[in-house]
Amino acid sequence: MVMGISWVVIATVLAAAGGVVGVVALRSDKVGRRAALVCMALSFGAQLMALGWRGELRGQCPLGDLGEICLFMAWSLTLFYLVTGTTYRVSLLGVFTAPFVFLLQVISLIPGAFEKNVVSAESIDAWREAHTSLSVLSYGALALAAVAGVMFFVLNYQLKARKFGGGLVQGMPSISRLVQAMARIAVVGWVILTAGIIAGLLMPKGNFGIHLMVATITWVLYAVLLGVYFVRGLPGRQLATGLTVLFVLSLVVFAKL
Amino acid sequence: MKLVCLGLNHETAPVEVRERFALLDGALDGETESLVSSDDVLEGVVLSTCNRTEYYAVVNGGTGVTDLKNWICQRREYNGSTEGFFYHYEARDAAEHLCRVASGMNSMVLGETEIFGQVKKAYKRSLEGGATKSVLNKLFQRAFGVGKKVRTHTAIQEGATSVAGASVELAEKVFGRLQGSSVMVIGAGEMSRKTARALQSRGASSVMVTNRSFDKAADLAEEIGGRAVPFSGWEEELSHLDVVIAATGAPHFVVKPQHVEAVRRKRKFRPLIMVDIAVPRDIDPEVGEIEEVYLYDIDTLQEMADEARKRREEQLRLCEEIIREEIDKASLPAVND
Repeated sequence: MVMGISWVVIATVLAAAGGVVGVVALRSDKVGRRAALVCMALSFGAQLMALGWRGELRGQCPLGDLGEICLFMAWSLTLFYLVTGTTYRVSLLGVFTAPFVFLLQVISLIPGAFEKNVVSAESIDAWREAHTSLSVLSYGALALAAVAGVMFFVLNYQLKARKFGGGLVQGMPSISRLVQAMARIAVVGWVILTAGIIAGLLMPKGNFGIHLMVATITWVLYAVLLGVYFVRGLPGRQLATGLTVLFVLSLVVFAKL
Repeated sequence: MKLVCLGLNHETAPVEVRERFALLDGALDGETESLVSSDDVLEGVVLSTCNRTEYYAVVNGGTGVTDLKNWICQRREYNGSTEGFFYHYEARDAAEHLCRVASGMNSMVLGETEIFGQVKKAYKRSLEGGATKSVLNKLFQRAFGVGKKVRTHTAIQEGATSVAGASVELAEKVFGRLQGSSVMVIGAGEMSRKTARALQSRGASSVMVTNRSFDKAADLAEEIGGRAVPFSGWEEELSHLDVVIAATGAPHFVVKPQHVEAVRRKRKFRPLIMVDIAVPRDIDPEVGEIEEVYLYDIDTLQEMADEARKRREEQLRLCEEIIREEIDKASLPAVND
């Protein structure tokens, strides 16, 4: 237990370091930004070790308690950041992502978040495993889309209010790039969520729960938002608002369940 | 043997004096050849740009700056007063001055990059003409290294210092790369031309020009390789534009919120940057209230340019340090031996 939890602590410290180094490096320090990216990559490695520890204890996908869900989501968020951060050259996204990853991991470190006496699963329902893991994975992507949305708000405000000073506006990707990143990351999340829901529908009878229903409603809302964006078009601010509100709302609903 | 630099620039001499000493491209080789043909001048490089004419020479100990100045005035057939127009540096001071020039620290627009290429070209011509030897070869090579270091290790060339440059910087903040973007210039004056040119230099591919007088629009369009649009038809083009530059002499707003509102759906709410460099303004400020429109007026652009200039000036101390350090480190004959 001590060895296992230490991986979570390491991942949390590295995420915090990534955020702090990133903020300090905002004033056009490219080396510092790379250092922030390395911190996040190392944090990702530590998250994997921690998830491995919980998975071994459970004998199934580690999504059985609050600690595991937060950890899994932090891992998923970091994964998508590492992939899209380099694709879109939006390394600054790390500065915005790191605090969220840090927060999720701090929650998982709250005493009691990780169940102590975990009973190893006797049998595994593959569809159920696929449903839960894909759903949480999709939330990583949707969280990152919301983070990109927050970045959009910051940059949009600064450009509209004509506040051009400081490293933040200098280090940000362009408005067009952010809108593109928001939409594409959200599509990736939505596709994974679709797979998760399909897996949920294939679960043995009696396993259809409120979670699946909420996941389906979330899926529909994201589909409408993305559909409107791609077909009719939406101003960047409305897309950012939609993605952020939808993510926060679904997160709150899932937390209440 | 000593190294001397003698010259005049925009800070020391008015344009009517500078133009007397400026050398056209074709005259540079002859001037350098003539300079080093004297027994007292061992090596020489002549640099001539629109804002400066400078002579770098390695001379025999007895030759003074006054001799060199007289020789230059004689060649230019200049009989007027030279009081205060010329500056001169010797040995280390001359080396440091060259580094400042190559770094853009001595330019009219602080930190501008064009001068680096101009110094390189001047040196290359002298080198090819056999006018440089060990002293100037080492000195100029070192100056190029210092120039690069100053630009990469300081913020001397960061930020746009002109209204046109600031417009480009803002457009890039909204669109990232400007490759393939469409621009419309409303008004066919000098500011329109400069801004359109600046946008084109960063990749804007389609430039349209509209003006109340179609002939003027056509002239500017032809000059910049764009397309002229009748003034009555500019609103129809708005649906596929990325950048609008307005610089007319109209006494009232030319672009109003309803013009943009009418094409928002057709544009699929894509971002639109509007730059109003006219006084009185051409674009109704209410246009800037539209979500996807980023509107900037001349004051904002001027403020950006001023701030960039201020930031560059703040870098001068750091640049001087780099130059001193690099000259100290180098083993330059006639400079620090």
